[in-house]
Amino acid sequence: MTIARRDLFHIRPRRQEYDAIVVGSGMSGGWAAKELTGLGARVLVLEAGPMIVPERDYAEHLPTYEMPYRGWNDRKALAAEQPVQRECYACDEVARKFFVNDIENPYTTDADKPFLWIRGRQVGGRSIMWARQCYRLSDLDFEANAREGYGVDWPIRYADLAPWYAHVEAFVGISGRAEGLPQVPDGVFLPPMQMSCVEEQVAGAIDTAFGGRRRMTIGRTAVLTRDHKGRRACHYCGPCHRGCRTRSYFSSINATLPAAETTGRMTLRPNSIVAEVVWDPRAGRASGVRVIDAETHEEMEFHARTVFLGASALESTRLLLNSKSPDFPDGLANSSGVLGKYLMDHTMGVGARATFPGREDRTTRGRRPNGVYIARFRNVTEPSPDFLRGYGYQGSATREGWGRGMSMPGFGAGFKRDLLRPGPWSFGISGFGECLPREENHVALDPEQVDAWGIPTLRISCAWSANERAMMRDAALQAAEMLEAGGGRDITIDTEMTPPGLTIHEMGTARMGRDPATSVLNAHNQAWDVPNLFVIDGASMTSSGCQNPSLTYMAFAARASHYAVWAARRGEL
Amino acid sequence: MKRRTAIGVLGGVAGGPLLMPLDELRRMLAWREQVLAAVGPAEAGGAGSGNGAPAGDDTADGAAMKAASLLTPARARVMEALAEVIIPETDTPGASEAGVSGFVAALVDGWLDDDDRDRFLAGLDSVDPACRARFGSPFAECAPGERAAFVRGLDEELTRLREDPAADESLHFFHDVKRFTLTAYFTSDVGLDALGYRTTFRTFEGCAPLTAAEAGR
Repeated sequence: MTIARRDLFHIRPRRQEYDAIVVGSGMSGGWAAKELTGLGARVLVLEAGPMIVPERDYAEHLPTYEMPYRGWNDRKALAAEQPVQRECYACDEVARKFFVNDIENPYTTDADKPFLWIRGRQVGGRSIMWARQCYRLSDLDFEANAREGYGVDWPIRYADLAPWYAHVEAFVGISGRAEGLPQVPDGVFLPPMQMSCVEEQVAGAIDTAFGGRRRMTIGRTAVLTRDHKGRRACHYCGPCHRGCRTRSYFSSINATLPAAETTGRMTLRPNSIVAEVVWDPRAGRASGVRVIDAETHEEMEFHARTVFLGASALESTRLLLNSKSPDFPDGLANSSGVLGKYLMDHTMGVGARATFPGREDRTTRGRRPNGVYIARFRNVTEPSPDFLRGYGYQGSATREGWGRGMSMPGFGAGFKRDLLRPGPWSFGISGFGECLPREENHVALDPEQVDAWGIPTLRISCAWSANERAMMRDAALQAAEMLEAGGGRDITIDTEMTPPGLTIHEMGTARMGRDPATSVLNAHNQAWDVPNLFVIDGASMTSSGCQNPSLTYMAFAARASHYAVWAARRGEL
Repeated sequence: MKRRTAIGVLGGVAGGPLLMPLDELRRMLAWREQVLAAVGPAEAGGAGSGNGAPAGDDTADGAAMKAASLLTPARARVMEALAEVIIPETDTPGASEAGVSGFVAALVDGWLDDDDRDRFLAGLDSVDPACRARFGSPFAECAPGERAAFVRGLDEELTRLREDPAADESLHFFHDVKRFTLTAYFTSDVGLDALGYRTTFRTFEGCAPLTAAEAGR
């Protein structure tokens, strides 16, 4: 957007103009911007990528016949420019512009340990393309490390975060159904979306067959089922990852950044790649950040009283690793030496699918941007001798579409008539499993490689462990058993785990803890070593749970922002 | 939605009223309110539905007709004729109204790997000689019964390959002909109309009765 850009380029560093710099404008950065400005702070939001203007850049209603490849994607361009990003389903013919260019943004892995790092660099970050599922963590998760002696203990418990979950949920607008399940606590919900006939059927059968120990509920999703805080209810068009001009799903562009903007205290500077957090050794604090303009490559420094990193788990950690000084030769806030370690993601790709005879007189109407959720039962209501922790399932049951014709015999009028009708009911569920925090899963700076702006890149070393593999073997089996209990036929099992990274729940590497010797952040997402530095994204996670994590990042970002303002008012920052 | 809120939302995402000239803001606001009107409580219509490009839109046909395309006019004629046999005109339009050759030209020229493209084109090139030998005419000029018999032969070959664990059906050019045809048709405006496709919905129904069209005509 040329007009805004011209004006944005007038934003130039001025000494101590801002109360806070927020690095990143996505899920976490958007929340920090909203909360900090709402509390009266003057905030500079720095975003590495370009401005996104929904009326120009969102394309959720673009008909398939206006796409050159009819939704089959520009596969040669993907291979040349986005060989990593293309592995994400959302990096499609329309939405690939929301994913980074892998040539400009390289990283390295061990040859035998693929890690797919899926990134979005634009105002809004990955909150534009996220899958919108929202589940609270519980004390089952916050106590897990301490209980099992795996990793370090979280410095907080559910009671510390519960009010912040409620705070963000009330603003985000999350549709869902209260279930009273302790492992995924109920939140502040808008009305739930409907299950499909076959989902209802299987949910009931699971309840009976497993004696109430397993519960299928409708997904809890950040999509509005009624108008909410100036945003419109969902109109069920389907491809949310291409944007939403009615702002019906939550993203920072759709909700938090506009809220920050209305305070008049936010300055948003796109195309601002933060290369370093600047350490002031005399003050013993961060003085600001060094920025490289993404378009002009011009370098500049911005200063503020506090710095919030919400650049995404691995980008925030990369930024700290790149912020070296005599006081912090191994990266800022890294006196513990654990910065970059204990990388986690959730396991994905394993589950089962089946067809369901009956109910051929019924179908779903509308494209529901949501599925069903089977809450974790392993090591909750049903112990497992084979692994620690557990997994939840996500999936959906709909009638098959015309695509089934590609592997069906036939042609002509009868074939066409068949394909114009809905196909069989098909129900697939897929397990999302907790990943243990292991020191050897880590990131470090690559000794040689730099990105298109000359900034050292990450070398990522990450692999699933025996615990995750054992968990997913069980997930495949239990998925098949539940579908069978529900009346499924022709059951097939998916047993291949996707590589770490692809779940796009990568987290950890600057973990919270109770001890400065073994953690980077304290209970307020505040760096032990740098009192005016906060890391408010997935980097802060001490363990992973098995729940989709964005809601938790939002709660942490809001909580840390309030803490910082209170601490500053008390003269403690 | 209150007008004031809409301004706030727009201003925020665009960098703020202070950064945006007023006429630009007004232009965007007008656009937005059109969308909101279209997707509002009224169920019918909706932004982006039913008002798109006509069948075989200019871009796609233009691509097919470009001299540079490897899907030459002769090959495009064969492709279109095969597609119309697979998805014929009934009480709804057939594949020939769906811009099939525009889509296939895009695939041939910019999507398929060279090996796959060459195999597909060789397959198309084999159709007319085979029909001349068998029926005395190129495929597109054969009688309807002859065209159906020819396609039945190809479809049966494909089925045999699909059922043979040692074979790879995707190497047969008719596999591509069929998937290209179905995709071109069911993603075209005539195909979407035939499916009763709608862009927007007032709500999501999990267990709705079939429409007359879905129940089978």
